Amino acid sequence: MKFPVLINLLSLTLLCTVTFAENSDSVIRSNDRVALIGSTLVERARLYGHLESSLHLAAGPDVQNVVFRNLGWSGDSVFGDSRAYFGTPEEGRDRLSKNISEIKPTVVLFCYGAGEAMSVDQGWTNETATEGRSADGLETSLQTFINGYQHLINRVSESAGEGLREKIFIAPPPLENHGGALPDQTENNRRIGIFRDAIRDLAERNNGRFIDLFHALGGDEFDGSATSNPLTNNGLHYTEAGYRVLSREIVKGLGYAGPVVADEDDSSLAEFRKHIIEKNRLFFNRWRPTNETYLFLFRAHEQGQNAKEIPMYDPIIAEEEQLIAQARRQVLTGQPKN
Amino acid sequence: MNRDLLPLTYCLAIMGAVFTVPFSEAQNGLQDIPDTAFEAQLEAFSVIEGASINLFAHEPAVGNPVHMNWDKRGRLWVVSSPLYPMIQPGEAETDKIVILEDVDGDGVAEKETVFADNLHIPTAILPVDGGAYVANAIEVLFLRDTDGDDVADEREVVLSGFGTEDTHHLVHTFRLGPEGMVWINQSIYIHTHLETPYGIRRLLGGGMWHFRPETQRAEVFMKGLVNPWGHAFDDWGQSFLTDGAGSNGINFVFPRSVFAASPKAARILPGLNPGQPKHCGLEVLTGQHVPDELQGVLAAPDFRGSRINLFKLTDDGSAYTSTQIADLVSSKHRAFRPIDIKMGPDGALYIADWYNPIIQHGEVDFRDSRRDHKHGRIWRISFDGRDLVERPNLPAASDPELIAALNSSEGWTRQQAMVEMRSREPEAMLAALSSAAQPENVDPELAKLRRLWGTQSLNRLDLAQAAQLAESPNPKARAGALRSIYYTAATNPDAMEIASKAVSDPHPQVRLWAVSVLSQLDHPDTVKVALRALDGIEVDEFLDFAVWSICREHAARWKSLTQDGNPFDSVSQLLFAARAVNEPVGLPVILNALQAGKFQSNEAFSQVADFISKTGSSEDLNALFEYALAPATPVTHQHHVLVALANAGKLRKLQPAGDKNRISQFLQSDNTAVFSSAALLSGQWNTPTAKKLLEETFLQIESSKEKGQAALDGLVSLKDKAAGPFFDKVIRDTARSYQLRSLAVIGRIRISPETGANLALLVLKDSPDGNDPHGIYNTILSNRAAIPAFAKALSKTTLPQPIALTGVQKASSAATRPQGVINALQKAGEIKPMKMALTTEEMEAMMQRVANEGDPHSGESIYRRAMLQCVVCHAIGGAGGIIGPDLVSIGSSAPVDYLVDSLLQPSVKIKEGYHTTLVTMKDGTSFAGAIAREDSNEIVVRDAAGNENRIPKSEVASNFISPVSLMPPGLTAQLREDEFVDLVRFLSELGKEGDFKTPSNRFIRSWQFLQPHDRIRDAIGHYGNVIFAEDFKTYVWTPIISRVVGDLPFTEAPDLKGRGANRHTAARTFIDATEAGELRLRISGRLDDLVLFHGEKEIQLPKGASDAEITLTIEAPGRQKLSLAGLKNNGLDGVSLELLDDASKVQPLELKDF
Repeated sequence: MKFPVLINLLSLTLLCTVTFAENSDSVIRSNDRVALIGSTLVERARLYGHLESSLHLAAGPDVQNVVFRNLGWSGDSVFGDSRAYFGTPEEGRDRLSKNISEIKPTVVLFCYGAGEAMSVDQGWTNETATEGRSADGLETSLQTFINGYQHLINRVSESAGEGLREKIFIAPPPLENHGGALPDQTENNRRIGIFRDAIRDLAERNNGRFIDLFHALGGDEFDGSATSNPLTNNGLHYTEAGYRVLSREIVKGLGYAGPVVADEDDSSLAEFRKHIIEKNRLFFNRWRPTNETYLFLFRAHEQGQNAKEIPMYDPIIAEEEQLIAQARRQVLTGQPKN
Repeated sequence: MNRDLLPLTYCLAIMGAVFTVPFSEAQNGLQDIPDTAFEAQLEAFSVIEGASINLFAHEPAVGNPVHMNWDKRGRLWVVSSPLYPMIQPGEAETDKIVILEDVDGDGVAEKETVFADNLHIPTAILPVDGGAYVANAIEVLFLRDTDGDDVADEREVVLSGFGTEDTHHLVHTFRLGPEGMVWINQSIYIHTHLETPYGIRRLLGGGMWHFRPETQRAEVFMKGLVNPWGHAFDDWGQSFLTDGAGSNGINFVFPRSVFAASPKAARILPGLNPGQPKHCGLEVLTGQHVPDELQGVLAAPDFRGSRINLFKLTDDGSAYTSTQIADLVSSKHRAFRPIDIKMGPDGALYIADWYNPIIQHGEVDFRDSRRDHKHGRIWRISFDGRDLVERPNLPAASDPELIAALNSSEGWTRQQAMVEMRSREPEAMLAALSSAAQPENVDPELAKLRRLWGTQSLNRLDLAQAAQLAESPNPKARAGALRSIYYTAATNPDAMEIASKAVSDPHPQVRLWAVSVLSQLDHPDTVKVALRALDGIEVDEFLDFAVWSICREHAARWKSLTQDGNPFDSVSQLLFAARAVNEPVGLPVILNALQAGKFQSNEAFSQVADFISKTGSSEDLNALFEYALAPATPVTHQHHVLVALANAGKLRKLQPAGDKNRISQFLQSDNTAVFSSAALLSGQWNTPTAKKLLEETFLQIESSKEKGQAALDGLVSLKDKAAGPFFDKVIRDTARSYQLRSLAVIGRIRISPETGANLALLVLKDSPDGNDPHGIYNTILSNRAAIPAFAKALSKTTLPQPIALTGVQKASSAATRPQGVINALQKAGEIKPMKMALTTEEMEAMMQRVANEGDPHSGESIYRRAMLQCVVCHAIGGAGGIIGPDLVSIGSSAPVDYLVDSLLQPSVKIKEGYHTTLVTMKDGTSFAGAIAREDSNEIVVRDAAGNENRIPKSEVASNFISPVSLMPPGLTAQLREDEFVDLVRFLSELGKEGDFKTPSNRFIRSWQFLQPHDRIRDAIGHYGNVIFAEDFKTYVWTPIISRVVGDLPFTEAPDLKGRGANRHTAARTFIDATEAGELRLRISGRLDDLVLFHGEKEIQLPKGASDAEITLTIEAPGRQKLSLAGLKNNGLDGVSLELLDDASKVQPLELKDF
């Protein structure tokens, strides 16, 4: 990201007055590129902006030029099922490798395990190398998950290259019971708890950080009673308010004391999130454009000429990143816009 | 080269500079935009008799409407997408939902409210539950207005993970079911991955989901169809779908049913109207405003043809027969694009007109300037002299009034009453349902089903009443009750018992639903019970599919039990289940039954033989072989066994244990089919006497083509390429016939591709007419090793131009499109490369000529010429080939420049569903075509000639979608320019109002012409015209289809010489009558010159008439032959024969079934 020199100087002067100094042990550092990988929980985070805004603010004003790229995909598994388009999950994993090698992240957040844990009797992947196994009950399905996750970590590390500094593993948050016609999630939470343990081990084996959202949000104490203060709209999918809580817990889990501003939405924070959400919308159309079949796949001979539009998103996204930086500065320092 | 036949492409090259421009730029200068004024559209409509059409709403309130649904207050919610087909970088998401309100009830909307304006290509809307479900590209949203201003201020993602691969395939077609669920469809390219509170659900390809808001459960209901853009429930709650790119009209769907285009489908079901136009939207016409003759009729918008088709359903076994009747509305206005139709609260019909001269975006550039991003219309059709329905005020209704509305005569009212019920206190609603009186004038069994739906729409299904209704005297109610049980059967303790009883129901549709319920259950005996549905009635394809499907889905529950014998009631049930899974299960029991002579019918026997060939061991194959060798075995069974053994050898490399020389017994057979299979097997098995015998038979191919072909296959199968020297000798022997030498070369290529490819030139250069009728080129082009060898050999020699040109055409349409071979052929044949793309100026000139000079009637006769091969691959309205897309409405959907480009460069635009898949085997052989079906063992590829090639999966090296069209380029190169112009004009008229719109009348379209025969001149005097109706053994009949208008052009028939100067002609066709009794037909043409036979019985035609209604008396239902004979001397031309009864009584047979 290129900032206009003037603004850069100005901001530096102002930011020096803040007590934060960039710590070499910080999880997130200046010029970091943070990739978020996972399934529905990660994909939908792009719509609200809380996760990115919280991490931005937690990192503090001395940390600059951080970009986030949300590569979450609904229903994805550690085998890359959702990313496969017309092909096999392996093609989905190849696609993820390509995305990662383009972004070259320095920090990767992984969050898998909820969908898999919920589907141990039904199967959760079309990966033929493990056919039947993901549906063979908790034990076999878990082992399949662990193996798949390790391969995914290896693949992402390889594609990211030497610049990859931090691997952060997030254990999925617990499911809620809403009562009424919605299902009892007690058994699923028990399974997610077991998957959580496996994810913790994986984090350790891979020298990564581990954030136990399952525990932090009460998964270990889950007793099956209906929640009085729901963070999800159906027991599984987090609402905007839910993401606010999740984001706070992730920041905490990374050892930050917390954002330097209150997490109430004041107007500057709302502006900050608005730009994050818009950047995410633009980036979504950049990496998962509609009409992929005609732009890049087997009907590219018909409409491939329009693929030239896709890289046109890059400068627009870059502009939006500048607006994010500006809004961020305003939130952190109260400095007026210009 | 003859100057008059100078190839068109060459002429064009002189017209303009020789360079090519991309298609998109070539289109920009074109102007054929229809008048956008809605008056212009109004003038262009023709509506069904007794109906009127008026404008309900238009732009700017609605621009490019995509989908619509009513709310319970009688307001129409419309989603529209000017952003389609693709958002531009940086562009905001601005597509809208508009609420249209007809405040004063005059049939015109006065009030419009923008509910939301921040959407991204929304493709469906359903206003229920205090808000609206919206399909928004990758997700389903629920938008809600919380402050009463009718503007959404809450936005929740309900489901996410729908694919985005193609913006006209995105999640779409929301329908509220009678049971209170949201039904959701997706199209062929969409790959969906949902995380639900019940686990992950995936649907790769087209299909339909159901989603219950209360439980948040989303499940796949059925799979397949290219673009299932229309869904309607009939009165009894059965589901019907239309398809915007398939061509089967109405499709009857049920749980786990699978239809065309579903990826990796092992089996698919047909639609109800093969060869019908493609549709978007579907609605059942019902209610007091609709005329009696249209009650229960399905209305399906044909957006390509700018019209709305109507279909009448009749019960047929477990499914239905669908007959097309006259169109509801059609338009000459090219931008009228009806894509949704819904009945309104006043009983009238409302039509969403997407308004666009260009449909689709695969073929025409996303950014084509002729795309309309602004206009949109909602039209309303009402019926003159019939009272409108008084619009109900359901939100103000009392509880008992609301419950009474569930039995309204109006479908609209029934549905919205249910929507209103869902917003009230469920306990109060259940109480009101229980205490409601029996409605008057409603079938009591239907009323019970509606009451059941009432409870289900509250998510409180009355299980006891469902169980009771499953025993209703009315089979439709029984099926409806089972369907209501289906969704939550897994937790219903009585479901197994109810289904167990219903599998033996007298009505096949009840059985179909019983099997569907079983498929939801966890019980170990589900398959054992489901198999009983096959016993005691005639099993149609749909019921067969349902049982087949559960045998596979629940295979783990029964397969291991077969080790201890037969776990089912009968050996035929075991055979059915074993064939369904296609695995070696139950073989000992099946073989015992075979030896005991239990499979006597041809069908059952061929199934057993086929099953053993697919799954049996060498010993099993031997047992089958020995059965065939037994003296008492009938010849037909012998043939089935030999075919099965040959397939086992070819697909599984497996031979029977024991002495294979016993095959020589069948080489004595005087049955050609038995001999041929035996010849092939003796080659495959390399029996000692085989080679000599096969060589002799091959050399006598002129006396028996079938035996000769079998001998060729046998020779190719011999071990160690043993037939190589023999083939070489034949190839080099120029005294042999071209046919024999061609086939020898083909055999040589099959056993040694490089050698064969070299020798091919020796034969090709002797082609007498420049054609390659035996397929030398195709054999080379489908072999990886032969291709480079052939190119190399060509580089050292020359070829006569005609045969080289044939080669260029074949190579250019081969899935591999080997450029080396194409270049070498051009050089060897001294062919100048054809110029395929036109410049902007050339295209404009061409468009002008097509518009000003093109003669569509002449174009049709050019289209029908055998040498152009159009008819071989394409159908128009179901008549013709099935390799390429049906062209029934190509003119009203595709711009002229698209047609020109598609003729000149077929590979530039390929219709979805018509891409070629290239499957290459490990030995280098490849098969190009469409995947007909596949299972765990084999892939079946249907090639351009319609042949199905079975390929064992273990032999497949690669499998990919080719960017090359199956349509060869240069087919039109032999046309004069004026002929090309006429051809394009004809294509551009197809589907538009006029002579080239396929009428909905049931004309018989498939025929055969009799070829000249020596017998005619002698016999006509003795026996008269009946000789043309006889099944004389050596008559040769060739296929012919009717013209678009529906008549058979006898001018195209060969002259059959009679006495003196008399020139006769004869044609025949076959129809299938389902019952005894009378059938009515209309015959049109010069009746004085014609005679008509039913079988060999002459049907009297009135003298001096050109049109007559006739009656056939059907004594034995089933296949009926109709023959027409005539005298051509007086200029006999078009003759049509139209069926006046509907499809439930009579169906024309397709050519393949003649």
